[in-house]
Amino acid sequence: MSRFLTPAKIGLLALIELYADKAVPTSSIVEVLSFITSHLIDSDISGPAGASRGHWKRAESTVSLVISIADFEKILSPHTAASGMPGRSLWYVFLDRLWKINSLDALHEFFDRRSDLLAKTKDELRREAEMGVEPPPADAILLSRNSPFGAFVRRAQLEFTRLRFHDAFELWKDFVRYRQTTAAYYRKKTPAFQRLSFDNVLLEGEHAWGEGVEAVASVAYGDMLRDDPNSTLPVSTDDIEKLLEFQIEQMQKYGNRIPLEIRHQFQDLLHDSFMIPSLSHYLSYLDAWRAGDYSTSFDYLHRYFDYTMQNRDRLFYQYALLNLAVLHADFGCYKEALSAMLETVSTARENRDMTCLNFALNWLFHFGRAHPEVTRDLESNSMLGTKKESLAFLRSKAKDTGMWTLWTSALASEAKMNLSNGESISTALEHMVRSSQILVERNMTGVMGSQISLNIALWDRLGVAYLSSTFCEVFLRCHAKHSVFDDELKVTSRIASMLAMRGKYDEALERLESMDPNSLRSWKPSQYWHKFRGIIKLRRDLHRNNLDGAEHLLSQLLQNKQEDLEPDLAFAIDSLHIDCLVRRGNLERAFAKVEALVSELRDENKDIALRVRLLLIKAELLDRCGRPQKGFTIAVRAANVAWRARLIPYLWPAIGAVSNILISLGDFEPALQLLRAILPRSLECENAAMIAKLYSILGDANMGMAGKMAPRSNKRREYMTKAVEAIEKAFNHYSSVEDISKQCEMMAKKATIMRVSGEHVLANDYAAAYLALRKDAAQAET
Amino acid sequence: MSLNDRETSQLRGALQEAVVKCSERCLYQSAKWAAELLNAIPEPTSEPDDTNPSQPGDYAPAVLAQNADPEEALLEAREINKYLLAKSFFECREFDRCAAVFLPDSMLAGVVTSKEANSTPKGKGKGKATATSSRSTTAPKLPQLSQRSLFLALYAKFLSGEKRKDEDTEMVMGPQDLGTCVNKQLLTISRYLETWFDQRKDEDGEDVDSQGWLEYLYGMVLAKQKNDDLAIYWLVRSVHLFPMNWGCWLEMTSLISRIEDLNRLMQRLPQNIVSFMFHIHASLELYQHDGNLANSLDQLINIFPTSSFLLTCDGLLSYHAKDFVAAEQAFSRLLSLHPHRLESLDHYSNILYVMNSRPKLAFLAHLCSSVDKFRPESCVVIGNYYSLLSLHEKAVQYFRRALTLDRSCLSAWTLMGHEYVELKNTHAAIESYRRAVDVNRRDYRAWYGLGQTYEVLEMHAYALWYYKKAAGLRPWDGKMWMAVGSCLQRMNRNLDGIKALKRALLAESYYETGSSFGSGGSGPGGLRGAHMDPEILLQIASMYEALDEEDDAKAYMEMCVAQEDGSAGDNAGESITIHNDEGSEDDGEAVGPSAGPGGGREGTGVTAATSKARMWLARFAMRNEDYETASRLANELCQDGVEVEEAKALIREVRSRMDAPAGKTTPGPLLLDLNG
Repeated sequence: MSRFLTPAKIGLLALIELYADKAVPTSSIVEVLSFITSHLIDSDISGPAGASRGHWKRAESTVSLVISIADFEKILSPHTAASGMPGRSLWYVFLDRLWKINSLDALHEFFDRRSDLLAKTKDELRREAEMGVEPPPADAILLSRNSPFGAFVRRAQLEFTRLRFHDAFELWKDFVRYRQTTAAYYRKKTPAFQRLSFDNVLLEGEHAWGEGVEAVASVAYGDMLRDDPNSTLPVSTDDIEKLLEFQIEQMQKYGNRIPLEIRHQFQDLLHDSFMIPSLSHYLSYLDAWRAGDYSTSFDYLHRYFDYTMQNRDRLFYQYALLNLAVLHADFGCYKEALSAMLETVSTARENRDMTCLNFALNWLFHFGRAHPEVTRDLESNSMLGTKKESLAFLRSKAKDTGMWTLWTSALASEAKMNLSNGESISTALEHMVRSSQILVERNMTGVMGSQISLNIALWDRLGVAYLSSTFCEVFLRCHAKHSVFDDELKVTSRIASMLAMRGKYDEALERLESMDPNSLRSWKPSQYWHKFRGIIKLRRDLHRNNLDGAEHLLSQLLQNKQEDLEPDLAFAIDSLHIDCLVRRGNLERAFAKVEALVSELRDENKDIALRVRLLLIKAELLDRCGRPQKGFTIAVRAANVAWRARLIPYLWPAIGAVSNILISLGDFEPALQLLRAILPRSLECENAAMIAKLYSILGDANMGMAGKMAPRSNKRREYMTKAVEAIEKAFNHYSSVEDISKQCEMMAKKATIMRVSGEHVLANDYAAAYLALRKDAAQAET
Repeated sequence: MSLNDRETSQLRGALQEAVVKCSERCLYQSAKWAAELLNAIPEPTSEPDDTNPSQPGDYAPAVLAQNADPEEALLEAREINKYLLAKSFFECREFDRCAAVFLPDSMLAGVVTSKEANSTPKGKGKGKATATSSRSTTAPKLPQLSQRSLFLALYAKFLSGEKRKDEDTEMVMGPQDLGTCVNKQLLTISRYLETWFDQRKDEDGEDVDSQGWLEYLYGMVLAKQKNDDLAIYWLVRSVHLFPMNWGCWLEMTSLISRIEDLNRLMQRLPQNIVSFMFHIHASLELYQHDGNLANSLDQLINIFPTSSFLLTCDGLLSYHAKDFVAAEQAFSRLLSLHPHRLESLDHYSNILYVMNSRPKLAFLAHLCSSVDKFRPESCVVIGNYYSLLSLHEKAVQYFRRALTLDRSCLSAWTLMGHEYVELKNTHAAIESYRRAVDVNRRDYRAWYGLGQTYEVLEMHAYALWYYKKAAGLRPWDGKMWMAVGSCLQRMNRNLDGIKALKRALLAESYYETGSSFGSGGSGPGGLRGAHMDPEILLQIASMYEALDEEDDAKAYMEMCVAQEDGSAGDNAGESITIHNDEGSEDDGEAVGPSAGPGGGREGTGVTAATSKARMWLARFAMRNEDYETASRLANELCQDGVEVEEAKALIREVRSRMDAPAGKTTPGPLLLDLNG
């Protein structure tokens, strides 16, 4: 196996020569040139078509070019040649070139002649003028020395001179075999073609040697003339390394695994190359990591760094540690991860590797945010300082060293911290805008995902659900193909959860199902995906009052809650668990769970939104117990916090809770006023359950007001009509999320109101509808 | 020479025995040679087994040969187990261990010291006298061994010494590689053998029942110790006792450096088919090529039609005769018959190199490399190919590899020298050539290369010495004489130079007319119709000019010009006299006046040399006021398109002279000088 040259590269050289000789007609130049270029330049110009197919297409084409000459045929046979015999296809002319290389010596000559393709340097021109060599005609196509083609031609020449003789003749043999598949085609068009045409010396020797030519040929070409099952593919180290780098880049960039067929092809190539680059261990490590195979990935990581450390002078030690830490963290060994990362920091400091150091600090910061219980000891030791300080440090460092990614991520982190601490929204927005500016200036498509996620979260918190879903769509349509699959998955699940909020469960599930199956082969995304699907189904089951099914799902979800790494996911599961308990009527356990969560959150200083939500749940629980007044402080506090932090989606339910308490106190008028104020804006949040709840409270308040009015007065009738309207609305919203029990409740309320207002027929109808609902639900359950 | 059936089967039997015996003694190359030859005899058409019913004994496997000598046979039978052990060690290349099976180190040391004690204090004559008396004392020290085992043990010792020597030399042309490393076992072996032969001498000083193998080893050791005459003596004895040992003949070949030595030696050799082959081989090594040789080779080829060895000889014969096409065909045929055989393919590559046949050379390199890329021959072939591609660094690399594999690979040293010359690394070039010459003093190319290199360094006296050496090895090669001549010219020894160059002319014509001159090349063959190199003629002429012998100079200039159309006969009456230069180491050859009217030979056409000659003639005519001729010649020059400007100036001047009164001739030479 050679370092660089393969038969396929000889083919490319011949094709370049065809182009320079103007044998390629003008109409097909673009196609031919782009074919050559796609194999010379490591550009990632994946078409707009496929998200994940496109990612891997390049690897496929590289492999197929190495394996067989058919790729050339595909590109060349539709075109006709511009010179030579009319009607000959370009494919024939190309083959003619290849078959003209009819001996090992001709191969040497072929490479010698490559320099004719290049534009001459000034020195050469002068020298040639002195020697009286004619300069090439002005209209000849010459490749400039530093153009991609020129560089390729020069590199090929250089590599050829570097070959030892043995390698040169191996290349020649590989070339003969590579070309041999075209013999049938070429023979049809070329009368002079003979069996031994692949080597001119043999062909000429046939007269002199007679029978002996067989013996000579078999000595020279060995098993190649027969069909040798052990024959290897002519792959060069260069190809292997390119493929490796490409795959690693793909995995790191998009976070997904290599498709199976490409992996098999690559393994075949690797099998035929006697030298296995150490990078391939890294690839295996990444793959094992993604596959969730903990021990194998450790094994490969160590193997990789064992091989690379020796020859590069400890330069990579910190990266080895860095990888180790990330791996540990990913598999939930936080203690080990932390110690490894701290060692990374000190080694990077020692080796003055700023890039690595900054990355490690950034990582540590995020890690600390995610797992405060592990880093708590550290903070007190003030090794890293407080969060704010370390962020500011990171920001300035990133600015100094020009690490734009780090800079944007530091800014985004600051914005996020602002939000979660419930501080000023405008400061957070400022940070976001700054980070977005850097991002746009430097065209960092890869970071777009986190930026947009932040935007989505912001609008979500501000209660503008429409904007947040728009951002989701924007991301999926424009940026998904450049960013990590994780981002895509999160955004998609975000959309799904929004759809679920509006009761569009099927659509939500469909969204999730349509994710790329190959990307889901990675362990972590697939875990997340499965859980998220579970959550949506759980929510649907709860709403449909299918409690057995819900409990079944819950038991599964709760089981691996411990290792669940996504805090929002964990909270969703917890809240659904409480919901389930409530529906079961097990209020005591629900209350105990809420208390536990509250204390946990208080300890860990988590996102303020979560605290508000817990307060709301608690208030609701108290309401369920029939003691709404006890929750007054809680509700007011929730409203206060939500208002201060502009957590709009939680502000409205908080106000709703307050008004509910007011209602229980008999203060219907203020409750009504509050509800009237918030209802229009709460519609913006597009949270059907919440709106339904608010409407039902509105109905209650109106009913209360009606009670205060004189019987049979117009006022009373008016309030009662309003109450029915509100309850009607609540019923509609409840039915959009398919919440059976609430629907029944609303129906019952309606029937009661009708009865009070004396409209018995309607009341009976509603009662019948109530029973029908019940029956339907029971049927659906079975 | 053709053999009848009985002789053929005798020959076959002898060869079979040789193969078995050689391989018993681990002389692999000799065994291979004999076996190749054995298989080159065509099989009889009728099966002899049809007539005489076969005996079961005929089919016994011949792994070990019966020893004819009963005493030896007894010894061999007794120590068969040890012998088998030793042989296995040898085959595993554990030479010291193999030797120690029969000859423990302590005993060898004893032999060496006792011998020293015996020989050093006493004179030569006395030592002989005491040899008989001391037999009783030294005898117990030599163990009772069969000759076969003894040979194997000592040969193993010898090889272990060679191996160690190679290891000590380290890198090719490295700091240790100065030729100072010696085989440290030689002394031990020669002492031992000396004692052994002494002990077995009978009253006449002839040992009785020796079988030739130990003599061969002794000869080899002596040759390594540069004791050539004694070595030849023992080797000749060996071939008398066992002629089928080709290794012995090869040793002898390497000790012969001149054809006269060979002729002298031939009288002492037994007359058999192997010595016949030896004669051919040795002659070829000495670059001989004549009809007799070709004849005898043909006869041998009749007996062994497919023998690769003889086919190689055939090719080499053509090569030495500079008949490259025939040589190429011979080697090509050899290749098709024995595609796996690498030996002598380096010669083939030289031929292809000279013929500039790149595709074939590439193919040959490819073939060799796929057979075995770590053989010196393969490396030389590849090196030659790279040299032809003008990739001299790579060529050097491959020649070095060849030398690492085998330091005695002569052609690699020489070719590496050539490459170093190309790379302008004169010191390395000189060193490589020198090593080539040290390996084989008969290599004229290395001598010639040395001369060339010194010429580049402008050390002409040195260069002359080496050129003379080369010319002595190939007296009929014009190139050598030309080199000698030009070197002499540089040293301002024009007279000698002219002699040398004239010889060169003669030598050139020798090749032209083929081998019709007879064996010695001493016949008074003329230069009839011979084509002469205008370069040489021009050079001779200019030397004459330097000697102020204008007439001779003019004659040669005219001859030079005449080469254009090949009609040397135009200047009838001109003749080349080759002086008898006794000073040369060559046997003098005198060639009478010749150069009769030339036949219809094709000329060289206009060359730089002829143009120069013409210009000279034109100027000469000017000087002698022969304006007609001058004008004609100058016009010719203009037509040829060489040095047109100068020629035109000349024409103008001729016109002005012809127009001007005869008195005013002064500006002429001035103008000439200006132009010159």
